Amino acid sequence: MAYPFIIRRWSAWAPGVQTQDDWQQFAAGRKPPDHQAPPPLQSTPKPLQRRLSPLAKAAMFVVEQCLAPGEQMPAVFSSSHGEIGKCLDMLNDLQQGEELSPTAFSLSVHNAIAGLFSIAYANRCEINCVAPGAGGLGPGLIEALGLLHSGYGEVLLVYYDEVLPDFFPATGFAASLPFPCAAALRLTLDGPGLALEFSPTSSTRQDGDQPLQLPAFIEFLAADRSRLHLGNGGRGWQWQKL
Amino acid sequence: MSNTETELKRLIVDTLALEDIDAADIDSSAPLFNGGLGLDSIDALELGVAIRKQYRVKIDAEQDDVAQIFSSVAALAQFIDSARS
Repeated sequence: MAYPFIIRRWSAWAPGVQTQDDWQQFAAGRKPPDHQAPPPLQSTPKPLQRRLSPLAKAAMFVVEQCLAPGEQMPAVFSSSHGEIGKCLDMLNDLQQGEELSPTAFSLSVHNAIAGLFSIAYANRCEINCVAPGAGGLGPGLIEALGLLHSGYGEVLLVYYDEVLPDFFPATGFAASLPFPCAAALRLTLDGPGLALEFSPTSSTRQDGDQPLQLPAFIEFLAADRSRLHLGNGGRGWQWQKL
Repeated sequence: MSNTETELKRLIVDTLALEDIDAADIDSSAPLFNGGLGLDSIDALELGVAIRKQYRVKIDAEQDDVAQIFSSVAALAQFIDSARS
């Protein structure tokens, strides 16, 4: 079964790679990510900005490229591990008998960035948060397609993940990105845009070179390629440009 | 202006990540919440923890007049100075 959809607009960020041209260069192997922080946010209120971690700033940066200030639509936020570095810092503080920062604690849930997004955009539409772990990009997209098929005209899908701290074992436990990465996709079922078809497959062919798959997907969007397979643990996803 | 007031202004700017505000520009008598610096309840909790760490002074929400203590930098400094003496 294949599910057609349209990307009306997309934006992605990795350190130093943030425009469509940058991502084309990245796809051609000419622009490896560096260590730059996300650029300053334009429409997110200042008092909120000081609560944003670097990963949250990256997520809000890509959202700002896709959504006008105050624009409302349902959204899906998908992150395999969320702001796991911040959680580890808090656990270390607890272990050392330090008091936790109330600000950090108040934002230590998986839907914290989605919550800050809803405040920044005064968004009253439905927002779902997905933690797919090693399941990669498929579950978030399935959630977004579900919202579109239930009648919403447009859905914002936001992916973000950071590099897992060294504390976590690299094998057998969790998958990490090689650099922090965020992407926002403005999805719809008809109208102009980049037309794609998504299908779950039993093939485990893996076009991405790391398990969380996000840079591979952005590269596919930016590059002149018609098909992408991403497989993990016996389950695979396939995207085809139409 | 007391030393504690000067220290507190720096503590507020650093603890609450008020990047656009110069500590020296904070008015000692201006309200910290509801206008003024525009801080919220999470900021109040964060400041409470920072004050406990830096001055070993605990603000007790049950017994102290929290609204009065947090009404301005001057009021906060006065509370800290008297609690430490």
